[in-house]
Amino acid sequence: MTTAKNLRSVPLARRLLSATWITVGLAVVVTLLVSLRYPIILVNSLVTGGMWALMAAGLALVFGVMNIPNFAHGEFFMVGTLVAYYVFTPIHKMLLKNPSPLLSVVAPFAGILLAGVVGAVVGLTIEFLLFRQLRRRSKEQWVMNTFLLTAGLSVILINGTQLIWGTEFKGIPRYWEVRPLVLLGVSLSVDRVVVFGIALVTILAFWLFMRRSSLGRAMRAVAQDEVGAQLMGIDLNLVHMLTLGLSSALAALSGASLLFMFPSYPTVGLKPLYVAWYVVILAGLGNVEGAIAGGFIVALLQTLTSYFIGVGWEDVVPTALIILILLFKPSGLFGSEVKGIWEQ
Amino acid sequence: MLEIKGLDAGYDFLQVLWEVGLDVAEGEFVALLGPNGAGKTTTLRAVAGLVAPTRGEVLFRGRSVRGLPAHQVSRQGISFVSETLNLFPAMSVHENLLLGAYTVRDAARQQASLDFVFELFPRLHERRDQLAGTLSGGERKMLAIARGIMSSPALLLVDEPSLGLAPMLTLAVFEALQTLRRRGMTILLVEQNVNTTLHLVDRAYVLEQGRVVLQGKGADLLNDPHVQKAYLGI
Amino acid sequence: MNRNELVGVEAARPARFRWGEWPVRVGLLALLVALPFIPPFNREDMLRWLIGAALIAAQAIAFDFTAGYINVVNFGFAAFVGLGGYTSTLLAVRLGLSPWLGMFAGAAVAALVGFFTGALTLRLRGIFAAVMAWFVGLALLGLTRNLTDLTRGALGLNAPTLLATADNRPYYFIIVAMMVLTYLALWRVIRSHIGLAFRAIGQNLDAARASGVDPTRYRVINFTLSCAFAGWLGGFYAHYYGILTPDVMATSHTVEVLAVAYIGGRGSLWGGALVAFPFIFFVEWMRTNLVELPGLHLVIYGLLLILVMVYYPGGLAELIRWAGRRLRRLER
Repeated sequence: MTTAKNLRSVPLARRLLSATWITVGLAVVVTLLVSLRYPIILVNSLVTGGMWALMAAGLALVFGVMNIPNFAHGEFFMVGTLVAYYVFTPIHKMLLKNPSPLLSVVAPFAGILLAGVVGAVVGLTIEFLLFRQLRRRSKEQWVMNTFLLTAGLSVILINGTQLIWGTEFKGIPRYWEVRPLVLLGVSLSVDRVVVFGIALVTILAFWLFMRRSSLGRAMRAVAQDEVGAQLMGIDLNLVHMLTLGLSSALAALSGASLLFMFPSYPTVGLKPLYVAWYVVILAGLGNVEGAIAGGFIVALLQTLTSYFIGVGWEDVVPTALIILILLFKPSGLFGSEVKGIWEQ
Repeated sequence: MLEIKGLDAGYDFLQVLWEVGLDVAEGEFVALLGPNGAGKTTTLRAVAGLVAPTRGEVLFRGRSVRGLPAHQVSRQGISFVSETLNLFPAMSVHENLLLGAYTVRDAARQQASLDFVFELFPRLHERRDQLAGTLSGGERKMLAIARGIMSSPALLLVDEPSLGLAPMLTLAVFEALQTLRRRGMTILLVEQNVNTTLHLVDRAYVLEQGRVVLQGKGADLLNDPHVQKAYLGI
Repeated sequence: MNRNELVGVEAARPARFRWGEWPVRVGLLALLVALPFIPPFNREDMLRWLIGAALIAAQAIAFDFTAGYINVVNFGFAAFVGLGGYTSTLLAVRLGLSPWLGMFAGAAVAALVGFFTGALTLRLRGIFAAVMAWFVGLALLGLTRNLTDLTRGALGLNAPTLLATADNRPYYFIIVAMMVLTYLALWRVIRSHIGLAFRAIGQNLDAARASGVDPTRYRVINFTLSCAFAGWLGGFYAHYYGILTPDVMATSHTVEVLAVAYIGGRGSLWGGALVAFPFIFFVEWMRTNLVELPGLHLVIYGLLLILVMVYYPGGLAELIRWAGRRLRRLER
């Protein structure tokens, strides 16, 4: 049984001093200070942060609701890049011959939206074909088994994609042929601004869905007590399909939005995968809201590391920090709302 | 309303229930009594769809619900308040109650249920925004029962509501059940507190080692020698 | 912590010494030893495949020791192998240490890192240890790539070979010996009171604790041992292939070993070793013959892993045991 801290009954001062808020506060302060001198860091952190937030939210959701550590999560990102590429590129070619300002603006969105839909379908299919079968057969060692299963799935998806679509990098220079904006002395490509906007809108919609809608509540119920949820009349199979579909849609959406940054190739999902995992472990397994905040924090961390220490150290520093944090707060920065973090 | 005939059920290779039969008519308040491990909880779980019986029938309003998955049983109008409560600890009292009404489409009906429940359990109204995981034992029981009736079920199954409660709280819980009963709800109650229960219910069954050994009106069973010796310490 | 404290523990007995099984195993071993003399296996390229297979087999054994007995997937396994290799190579290149000794140094360093990783995370659910081991692996990979002064980064290191000869055959015997030693050592641990503790923890955590068995301690022992052997084998890798690059630590290598171990049968120790040989041959054959379809073998392997996990979690080992039982019943 998880013990939830009732924030309302804890005095404000105590709350603010908790590790989580110190970290968040620190992150905000650091960002602001650094941005005064190096605004590019703020920009990069926000753009990648939004995407990592989406990726991590999806991962945390699947772990929280379905108790599955999804090692194939990055592949949904990859699917997103693939769909976006193959939707956008032909439209783009057509636009070169018959320019249409309206279509030029809308075309990227078509690719991104469709990517989200395809991602959702892939997720739904995998839940139906794979996890539902496993649930029927044996629920023992569930977490470990599904971890390995998703590892196998990842191999299949990566190599299957390679077989069908090849290993070449399929990228685009930009989505919108518009001059970059200049903000705070930094030249911002419109692509990045829009991506940030998409991330914000999606995060908001997602948060509202989880917090306010009946279905979102049902999903949270399944995460906290499966039997209780069943007794309320909630169809677990439906919730599972929805969860994986939503999670993959979010990942595909981020992949599609970032096509100008991450070209499509079979293994493009590996980096988003382990970043999503960094975020989720840092924030606390299964904690979706924490994952969203964590996405920005990790993006900031990576940007700072990349800028001040060197590009290659992006992996090392977060790991070291996570080890440090886990030493003092094993349940993660924001705490785990998951079916028990201690060994059973 | 509820008819159980010749029910065999168990877990893995351990059979717990042997040809259990009982029925509950509409509007009745029936108890299932017996010692620890007799299979009372298993019986309720079998009705609720959490345990699949190996043999026998479970008929609800004449239709078989045996083998239906738990969420479908709930949708049929059977609400189960388990012994472990199965509350959602990281959600508020209010959200837990809303989930109780998950199958209720109509917003007005939801609100009506909410109002009724808060009237029945004013403590819950006080704590409506508090996280369920931080409630006291008695409050959690109240929440579980309140949540169970949010969907206005036709049949309410309650498993050991008085377990672990101080006598005053036990009284409060039983009073709530009485109120529900007076409003026409059909209730099947599993209890270890034999004395109080027999004074409240219409009829009762006694389950021992997975079999029904006694049944009758509450008042009659109070005077039954076996019950007196085994459960009332007379 | 001694045997007496475990007397009260209710745990299943470890596999009994069935005479029926050992002749088969010794026979297989004899076959393995004889193979390099039988054509076509005496060709140098075939021998290279065999060596690769035995290396994977040994790794699968060490991996299964953790996955099968304390239910933790060491997802950074390849990094520990690589760590052993790099340690051994650096010691040889910088300090002139003999590769034979270097392999043990590699084992020690890998064990040390494994110990800290395990100590930090094995108090928590297995998934933490799995993911943290993965992060440690990624960090090691990153460090290896970035500390170019030490490791030459992506350029890699040239490691001195174990033997002066360019012949593959002696290396084959070495790796087979290492594989057998790994198996025997870990099997011996399983049969000892430490292995009993593993089972106790797996079966009934509270009873184990009540009998004085500290779960975390035994999990850490297991994890450390597994990493030690990984490092040792990494040393062989370095001093056989002669070239070492950071890619050795890639997660895909862990997945390779993992797939072999699971298809072979989780918890069997030897199942993965058995699967490794046809696996490598299959992979190499596909690589040389179906060049137009790169990666198909991996798709098939991924599918096999999934099918095994969902429909036949006992793996090849379970299949063989079942066959053995049918045969014995026929004999009666």
